[in-house]
Amino acid sequence: MQYETESWSGYLQEEIERMASKNAVVMFSKNTCCMCHAIKRLLCGMGVNPTVYECNDHNPTWQNALFSLLGNSSTPSLLGFFIGGKLVGSMDSIMAAHINDILVPLLKKAGALWL
Amino acid sequence: MASQGIGETGLTDSGPSSHSHHNHNMPYAVYRGINPASTSFINQESSGFDFGELEEAFVLQGFKISNDEAKASLYAAAAATGKPAATLEMFPSWPMRFQQTPREKSKSREESTDSGSLSSRVQPHLEPESPISRKASSDHQQNQLHITHKSQEQQQQLQNMASNNPRTGGLQTELAASKSNSEKKKGAASTSERVLDPKTLRRLAQNREAAKKSRIRKKAYVQQLETSRMRLSQLEQELQRASSQGIFLGGGTTAGSNISSGAAIFDMEYSRWLDDDQRHMSELRTALQAHLSDGDLRLIVDGYIAHYDEIFCLKGVAAKSDVFHLITGMWTTPAERCFLWMGGFRPSELIKMLIGQLDPLTEQQVVGIYSLQQSSQQAEDALSQGLEQLQQSLIDTIATASLHDGMHHMALALGKLSNLEGFVRQADNLRQQTLHQLHRILTVRQAARCFLVIGEYYGRLRALSSLWLSRPRETLIVDDNSCQTITGLQMTQINVTCQAKSSEGANRTMPHVK
Repeated sequence: MQYETESWSGYLQEEIERMASKNAVVMFSKNTCCMCHAIKRLLCGMGVNPTVYECNDHNPTWQNALFSLLGNSSTPSLLGFFIGGKLVGSMDSIMAAHINDILVPLLKKAGALWL
Repeated sequence: MASQGIGETGLTDSGPSSHSHHNHNMPYAVYRGINPASTSFINQESSGFDFGELEEAFVLQGFKISNDEAKASLYAAAAATGKPAATLEMFPSWPMRFQQTPREKSKSREESTDSGSLSSRVQPHLEPESPISRKASSDHQQNQLHITHKSQEQQQQLQNMASNNPRTGGLQTELAASKSNSEKKKGAASTSERVLDPKTLRRLAQNREAAKKSRIRKKAYVQQLETSRMRLSQLEQELQRASSQGIFLGGGTTAGSNISSGAAIFDMEYSRWLDDDQRHMSELRTALQAHLSDGDLRLIVDGYIAHYDEIFCLKGVAAKSDVFHLITGMWTTPAERCFLWMGGFRPSELIKMLIGQLDPLTEQQVVGIYSLQQSSQQAEDALSQGLEQLQQSLIDTIATASLHDGMHHMALALGKLSNLEGFVRQADNLRQQTLHQLHRILTVRQAARCFLVIGEYYGRLRALSSLWLSRPRETLIVDDNSCQTITGLQMTQINVTCQAKSSEGANRTMPHVK
């Protein structure tokens, strides 16, 4: 039983990564989370159109898979933020990247921004 | 902040020169009297003895006491067992206290004591409440770490120790004081050679005020702790009663003066940070005027950045215990509170203020700063909108709570409220990153000037708050029946006060009026 759960979550992780690489900017968030709303606003304000997958509370397996992907280190509200298929990390690093002028070049490289 | 005496409820704070201790705090027999001519340790009875006057007397008379015996006894005491026990502290022999302080300040032992203060200032520490005294002395130790570099501060510490209940870390003070004294003056100056000038006297007066301030703050904090404890037990009883009956909790109405212990702790640390800020600013000022090399200037600027990192770290800790205290700005002055954004300053506004004051800048720097302003503006808008959504969802949750599933909705609302901490943390993160990026864009000299401008700006804002709170109001004068009009003399007095305060405030931060 344990083995099945692990392989299922492993499959989920691969699935998540596959979904993440389909678009330039992919976000996994909880629908009730307000910090995710803040990030969405930030990206939309910059002209980026992120693909958002809402994970609601009724689906804990997805959340567990995302947590294990993130190494349980990120804030519990933001579940996953991928640019160009690569995991960016916590809210802290997103803010820092934006201020330090790292975010925009990263987005341009991933093809999310054209200006 | 200066050293904190243990809160005694019966203590009158009328300044160190007339400091009186109550006998019931010191129920044990102590050695009485001072023999200035003697070089032995002098145990002073705290009750009824005015230490502040003694200290000043030494300064004024230029009295010098040899330190050899002091040093010898100090080392003997330090060799004693290092475990302070409550029972041991009940006895008036001074070595028991040294167990704590030399342990915490072991490096001070190596420094020779050259000030005559050491031998005369050894006092018995008779506080039986060891946890509080330990906390006070560890707080005191933290203060020591900040001040061991400045001999001026040494004087202040001596004064504070003099004016406070001398049970708290007296030896610690002297160790630190003598350490800084020896570092700065290389063993040359002693009490007898200290020049008596108005500067020294003014410093002594300032130290007295600072000591008084910290005593008052400490008392207030202890009182708040006690009231919060009572309130907590009351709330727990209410909670039990309400949950057993299955009804809503009343939603505790907090009295205005009732702040949590996390908030009180943060307030104290913030005031200490502000004192540090003053010190950093004067360092920056002298460094810029002295035209130091870039390497030296870089050290000072890095120190100022670390100083800001420290307050953001403190705020992060405080956000965990009391996020409302931060987000409502009760820790700042009224004028700062007016411009508050998510528990602190707004980075884009700060940059807007700086742009005009940072010339000359290269074109690349100008571009960098404008882009920094833009990105911080975007991040601020995003966070503000996120917060708005949080508020909206909270309102919805509370509004739709009905009688039957009220507890469930309250639990939901509580969960949403916990997100506030995340927003305040992100806002602080934004502020911290903005300052770091500024540091990266500017050269060392520009950065030094920039941080000086920032520090002075907020200092003036705080001074503005003090001025506003202490402004004279006409209604006070018309109160008296016999005096219906403002006489010309009174008008002049008001003008003089305003001018003096405004000119004073522009140069230094005024004492906080909270």
